[in-house]
Amino acid sequence: MIKKIAFLLVAVALIAAACDSDSDDTTTTAGTAEETTTTAAQETTTTAAAEETTTTAAAPAGEAGTIIIGTTDTVSSLDSSDAYATRDWEVLKNFSEPLIKWEPGGADTLLPGLAEALPEISDDGLTYTLTLREGLKWGDGTDITNEVVASQLTRLLTISDTGPNQVGLTLGNPYVESIEASGESDVVFTLTQPLAFFSQVLAGGPYIPMHPDYFPEDELVIFPEPPIYGAGPYTVTEFVPGETMTFERNEFYHGDPPNADKIIVRHFADPQSMALAVQNGEIDIAWRILGSELALPLADVEGLNVAEIDAPATRYLVVNHVLEPTNDPNVQKAIASVVDRDEISDRIFGGAVTPLYSQVPPAFFGANEAFDEIYGSPDLDAARAFLEASGYSEDNKLVLPFWYPPEHYGATTADAMLIIAEQLEATGMIEVDLQAQEWSTYVGAATGGQEYPLFVLGWFLDFPDAENYTQPWIENGGQGSVVTSYEDNSITPGVNPELLVALDAQRGLTDPAEREAALDELQNIYAEEVVTVPLWVEPEFIVYRDGIAGDPNLPNPEALNIGASMEFIYSLLTDAG
Amino acid sequence: MHPLLLTFLIFGIPLLIGLLYVFFAGSPPLRKYIATRVALTIPMILILATVVFLVMRIIPGDPIDSTLGPKGTPEIKERFAEQHGLNDPLYVQYGRFVGNVFTLDFGNSLVYAQRPIVDELGERLPATLEMVIPATMFGLGLGLFLGTRAGMKRKSAGDYGSRIFSVVIYAMPIFWLGLLFQLVFGVWLGWTPIAGRIDPEIPLDRTTNMLVVDSIISGNWAALRSSLEHLILPTLTLGLVLSGVFLRLTRINVIETNQEDYVTSARARGVKEGTVTRRYALKNAMIPVITLMGLQVAILLAGAVLTETVFSWPGMGRYLVDRILTRDFTAVQSVIVFFALFVAVIALAVDILYSVLDPRVKY
Repeated sequence: MIKKIAFLLVAVALIAAACDSDSDDTTTTAGTAEETTTTAAQETTTTAAAEETTTTAAAPAGEAGTIIIGTTDTVSSLDSSDAYATRDWEVLKNFSEPLIKWEPGGADTLLPGLAEALPEISDDGLTYTLTLREGLKWGDGTDITNEVVASQLTRLLTISDTGPNQVGLTLGNPYVESIEASGESDVVFTLTQPLAFFSQVLAGGPYIPMHPDYFPEDELVIFPEPPIYGAGPYTVTEFVPGETMTFERNEFYHGDPPNADKIIVRHFADPQSMALAVQNGEIDIAWRILGSELALPLADVEGLNVAEIDAPATRYLVVNHVLEPTNDPNVQKAIASVVDRDEISDRIFGGAVTPLYSQVPPAFFGANEAFDEIYGSPDLDAARAFLEASGYSEDNKLVLPFWYPPEHYGATTADAMLIIAEQLEATGMIEVDLQAQEWSTYVGAATGGQEYPLFVLGWFLDFPDAENYTQPWIENGGQGSVVTSYEDNSITPGVNPELLVALDAQRGLTDPAEREAALDELQNIYAEEVVTVPLWVEPEFIVYRDGIAGDPNLPNPEALNIGASMEFIYSLLTDAG
Repeated sequence: MHPLLLTFLIFGIPLLIGLLYVFFAGSPPLRKYIATRVALTIPMILILATVVFLVMRIIPGDPIDSTLGPKGTPEIKERFAEQHGLNDPLYVQYGRFVGNVFTLDFGNSLVYAQRPIVDELGERLPATLEMVIPATMFGLGLGLFLGTRAGMKRKSAGDYGSRIFSVVIYAMPIFWLGLLFQLVFGVWLGWTPIAGRIDPEIPLDRTTNMLVVDSIISGNWAALRSSLEHLILPTLTLGLVLSGVFLRLTRINVIETNQEDYVTSARARGVKEGTVTRRYALKNAMIPVITLMGLQVAILLAGAVLTETVFSWPGMGRYLVDRILTRDFTAVQSVIVFFALFVAVIALAVDILYSVLDPRVKY
């Protein structure tokens, strides 16, 4: 009996504990907006080409005024002083805004954002002054002042290194010495050195001021609780990690109100499911990351549109200048001479990728085709001559370890690397030792520069300028090229010191013609030294149902105004049902 | 209240009540057995935690490289290691980890925004349970039904059909079956959603993070309907694959039990065939099936990764695989300790169920 009573008492206590629960969570809203334009920015880049295929209507995914976007990208930080990923920046630029921004649809024109005009640059190129628009407010209605903007942007220089992504150490501190408020509404950036591309950097995600009530001056807030108020066209009203993020109108936005009341971004674990979801109307738009093999067949589906965007995602081989056998300049040049990019594009990607003959993609200002001009595309005889010069022959083959990550860059990586191995072996003088390694092991071994003589990596831009496609491999910041040591930036013996001079020379040039010439020289030396061997540029695809449209007055409306800057501005989207 | 605690209350309390009932109402040897098993759980988890801790540090790759990628300079990597205590001696890291286990804190993720692991488990575990429980019930029900019929009518057309079905369905790659169902039921017929847990346009207050439960609690019938619709394809896919193995196991055990003397004598006594099937053949054939069910549920908590991926279901399986690939030490260690607890509880429940099903089993 006592046992039964004891059991009952415990059971009742547990049930009482279970009933003592309360709920938490969820939603809120916000409201309206505008935008602005003005002059074009400096020189720089070019645009994105958009192609299209259409047919008739599919069932709309959402209610009137709601557009549902599918993505396989994950959000990893929502604090601009920490965020360092394309998806994070996309979110940031839809609920907030930098002082200057890219014209949607391209990457060649800068427009004022929270500032009323493009920056005034001092004669020595060291000071950038921007004046804030009048009457700016955060999404909760509080005022935005120049003091707040300056102190919030200073977080990038002071606390970014406390976060997981440490973006400030790459895109903040190396460029900016201080950010200060001046007068009634000016914000003044003092640079560490004159930088021709600083306006491009300034239009990036890290230079978006965050609301001080939710993002304190001395602490990173990576995932704030919604609602997340910014100064952009939308407010993030709900965020369920791994599932959805909801954007609703910000009524205090200074620009044109967004066309859609609500945007819901749905996360998919698998691109195949996302492709099926846009097909059955569960989502209106499938965006990042659909490969050509999934996106292109959807062009034949009634009611769907497929657009291709010249995305700045590159793949390249890193030739280690320290390890044997790739520390031999002849071996480096032989590798550069052998790679047939057209064959890779045709056999593996059905022609969907663009061969790359400079580390700078063709869509960017100053890009040339140095590798094609110097090494041909390909030239096996030249490759054999280089190898012979170093004593290799068909009887005395060069044994070349070649590494790649089988899963990180998609299923096609292994096939592409096999073709490169075939091309290298076609010289008759190289025996490739092709080896795969899982990413978390691979990346450390590769970028550490001490293990792999030859390996493949990919790059996606931080800001759309040739600087961002050359500096990371010349001033070795962990990209594994090892042409300079990280500590003192001294050049590897055997590598032309002119490389560092040429890199530095183009940085301060504000005259487009002069900078273009300097970039041309830089890329030529880069190719001569075979710092890396550029392979191809991969396009991005966006699929959307009939009725969804971008702004026809802006570039690339067929691609919903997404251009080479890869910015997707949700407020421009319209849904004709 | 934290969803993880609510999940424990929803599933743990009935289990605990059952355990306490058996403990207090059971014989002294059974009580001793239960007490011993519970006491052994602690060293078992400690040993497992230690093994996982060491293995994660022995295998190549680390969270610094996988988080920072090629853009991580040596200076940035060093800061990252310092901030996360990865430069500390191994025994210091181990002490910190064990301390976290005993306080059920588990610490923060290393790679994904440094979120508290408990919060991430609170999002993932309920989602997994919401999919795995109905899928197991469906698979078990179908497997038992077909397996019993096949076993009772051996060498009939139904028996052959069931055997072919069980082999084909078990051998079918689960992601392929999932994609097939998405294409047929989602795209061609338009009957079911393709992926996800609920229509994102339906607002729902998430209390337990089990959306069916949350919908009922809040009386949100649109959300209930939507969450049930979203459960159909994952449940069908996972359940069908599971049913194959349950079917085969049930069939063979029913056949064996059917040949026992007590079944023959029951028939000879004129006991109805339905009663023979239920009370004699099936009940005695259930012991290995129950064992398998317990193991399957434990495996599926982390092993439904393919189903979760195909249906974009943010559950534990995908979480664990992602974190292993990024070498998120704290997340992997914590999840495995959590699983160990779960498996220990399920194994104990299964052992106790034996004695209920078969009076010959004594402790």
